[in-house]
Amino acid sequence: MTGVVTLAEARDDSIFGSKAVGLGDAAREGLPLPPGVALSGDIVEAVASGEEGAIEQVVRLARDLPLPLAVRSSAVDEDGADASFAGQHLTLLNVPSCDALGDAVREIWWSANSDSAITYRQRVGLFRRPSVGVVVQSLLDPDCAGVMFTRNPVTGDDELMIEASWGLGEAVVAGMVIPDNFRVARSGEVLDRTPGLKRIRIRSLPEGGTREEDVPADQAEALCLDDAQLADLSRLADRCEEVYGAARDIEFAFAGGNLYLLQCRAVTRAGV
Amino acid sequence: MAGAPLDAIRRVPLFAELSDAELEQVARLFKQRGFPAGETVAKEGSGGAAFYLIDSGEAAVTLAGNPRGTLGPGDYFGEIALIDEGARSATITATTDLSCYGLTFWDFRPLVQENAAICWKLLQFMVGRLRAAERQSP
Repeated sequence: MTGVVTLAEARDDSIFGSKAVGLGDAAREGLPLPPGVALSGDIVEAVASGEEGAIEQVVRLARDLPLPLAVRSSAVDEDGADASFAGQHLTLLNVPSCDALGDAVREIWWSANSDSAITYRQRVGLFRRPSVGVVVQSLLDPDCAGVMFTRNPVTGDDELMIEASWGLGEAVVAGMVIPDNFRVARSGEVLDRTPGLKRIRIRSLPEGGTREEDVPADQAEALCLDDAQLADLSRLADRCEEVYGAARDIEFAFAGGNLYLLQCRAVTRAGV
Repeated sequence: MAGAPLDAIRRVPLFAELSDAELEQVARLFKQRGFPAGETVAKEGSGGAAFYLIDSGEAAVTLAGNPRGTLGPGDYFGEIALIDEGARSATITATTDLSCYGLTFWDFRPLVQENAAICWKLLQFMVGRLRAAERQSP
């Protein structure tokens, strides 16, 4: 059975899914990823079936990853499946230990076989057996995080558009805060910086899961990225475009003074 | 443990006529699934591709918003979806943390397609249901 590999070894999206292989491309190019492993669709199936050998294999390979862990689906059965099923397949943030990995992987397998996922498949004419890989990565506890478009998704202008907030980036992705907004020219010049209103931040809990924390009033409207961090992001945008091509939608985080790439996809919004 | 316990599967009428060897083949295809209290397990009218057998916990059944009883350990639902891929006929909501064994259409269909003996017994069961329904109709 094809099983568990480091992200840098995930090369075949028919085995590991497009998200895992996208991160694998980043790892091979030396982009700054949180450490992680990729699980094939076969081993996810075996773990979900409760096969002890498969669970042990996953735990053995994931044991060296700093805890806690983020566990995400990586659909392997259709082109663009990760985007298509983004709202159906589960992401589990902050899995506290390797011992909890078997349950987490099984939960993700079931998310691809849930009634809502099945209804969606029937509606879009993809009523066939889902195959889902999984990416397991160390979950950061970021100071701030967000999303960056390497081309303005509204106007189509050739500039970076960055949205960021305190804590985990899920606050931005889920629309739970008004994020800070930055526009940065290709030259690196900051064209615009607009503070948002970031009254909460999402933090990971030691026992698993996440919680929302109130942000002190003076921080809520303070910019969460400084010029040095914007310069780091500008360099990351250039590297991502070298590796993946133009017009990227990037999720990033700053933790412990370092910038990390969490995900890089093609921009799909209007205007590009 | 991989799969579901044979004794529990044997009590499901759909599988009651299967031999031990056939039951073992079916039991191996089940996967455990948990639902936290309050979660909607199945929604009336939505698509469904899995049959569930409750291992522990309780769930409420509603039809068009009206209570239609509770389910507990050993109870099951969704067996028709295993065959016809049809919509859920009732809403099932976990009233406590619920632990189930689930069997998907994708796993069940190949087993039946490859095993004529199992297929024939399922056919007999379905015809039995049809006759019972005919007897009840005016």
